[in-house]
Amino acid sequence: MIWATAKRSTTWATPAVPGSAYLFSTLMADEKQALAQGLRRRDPELLDGLIEQYQYRLFRYLVYVTGSRERAEDFFQETWIRVLERGHQYDGKFKFEAWLFTIARNLVIDWQRQKKVQSLDALTDPEQGAPMQFADEDDPSPLHLMLQGEAEATVQASLAQLPAIYREVLLLRFQEELGLAEIAVVLAAPISTVKSRLYRGLEDLRGLLTGKSA
Amino acid sequence: MNGELHERAKTLIAQERVEGLSPAEREWLDAHLQECPPCADLAQATEQALRSLRGLSVPLPRALASRTQFRVRLRAQELQAREPRWRLLWVACGASWALGAATAPYVWRALEWLGHRAGVPNFLWEMGFGVWWALPAIVVAVVLLVENAGRAGDADWLRQRQ
Repeated sequence: MIWATAKRSTTWATPAVPGSAYLFSTLMADEKQALAQGLRRRDPELLDGLIEQYQYRLFRYLVYVTGSRERAEDFFQETWIRVLERGHQYDGKFKFEAWLFTIARNLVIDWQRQKKVQSLDALTDPEQGAPMQFADEDDPSPLHLMLQGEAEATVQASLAQLPAIYREVLLLRFQEELGLAEIAVVLAAPISTVKSRLYRGLEDLRGLLTGKSA
Repeated sequence: MNGELHERAKTLIAQERVEGLSPAEREWLDAHLQECPPCADLAQATEQALRSLRGLSVPLPRALASRTQFRVRLRAQELQAREPRWRLLWVACGASWALGAATAPYVWRALEWLGHRAGVPNFLWEMGFGVWWALPAIVVAVVLLVENAGRAGDADWLRQRQ
C-alpha cells in the first residue's frame, strides 16, 4: 500500500554511496508521485495515515504560528479538509509536508485578512493580543509539568518574543527540517528572503537565550 | 584584523546551520574555534539554542487525529455524493453546446424570420440569438455560484469559533 511505503521511507537513513543516493532519490520521487496519485483519488486510507503521521508536526507548527491551541486545532482540521479537496494540486515536486504547511499557512493568512489583522506578528504578539498558549491548560498532568523543564519554558518564552516572521522560518528549518527551497515554497518568498530571515532569527534567538541564561 | 576574523567566524557559525559550509570554510572555522574561546562559546550557544528549539514539545489535544479523520471522511462522502451531479451537469452542458452549434444556422434564420415578422429592430433578435447561445454557460455559472456560496457557508464555522 502507498501509505505503508511512504511511512517506511521516513525511517530510511541517508545513503553513503552515490549509487544508492540515486536509488534513494528515485524511490523518494516515486513515492511522492504515488502519494500525489493517492491524493488525487482522495484515498481515505491514505488520508487517515497522513493525518496520523503529520498530526504532531502540523499541530505544533499551527500552535507556534497562531499562538493559540484552540485556534490551532480549528486550523488543523480545516487544513486536512483542504488537503482532501485540493489533493489534485499536489504534484510531488516538493515534500508533502511543504505543501501541507503551505495550505495551513494560507488558511491562517486568509483568516487574518478576514479579521483585518495587518501582519502575522499582530496575530501572535503578546502585546497585541492574547498571550501565546503552547501548553494544554486543561490537562496539566503532573508528568507533563515535570517533563516541561525550565529550559523548555525559557526557549518558549524566547520564541514568543521573536517576531512571527523569524519564528516561523526557524521552526520550519530547525524543527521541521525543511530545505531552503521548500521553506521558500511555504512562504511564497524568494530563497534570499528565507535566508535573511533565518540569519536574523537565529541571531535574535541566540541573543534572547544567552541573555536569559546569563 | 582580529575583529574581522571573529566576524567571519560568527558569519560561518550561522551559515553552517542555515545553508552549510564548503570544506574549506569548515576547515577554517574548525581551526579558528580551536584557538578562540569566545567564538567557540558562540558556536556552542548557537548549537544549544537550536537543540532547545528542536526539543520543544507541544502536547496534542485528545483524539485530534481521530476527530479530524472523522470530519475528513464526512467531507469525502459529501464530495463523492456531489460528483455524479457534477458529471451530469457537464454532460448536459456539453450536449447543449453541441446541439447549439449544430442548429445555430437554423436558429439564426428562425429568429431573423420572427424578428422581421414582429417588426423588431435587428439588434434585438441578434441579441436574443446571443442569449440563446450563451444559455448553457449562464446556467453553469449560476450553479457554480450556488455551489461556492454553499462552500463559504461550510467555512463559516471556523470564523464563528474565533
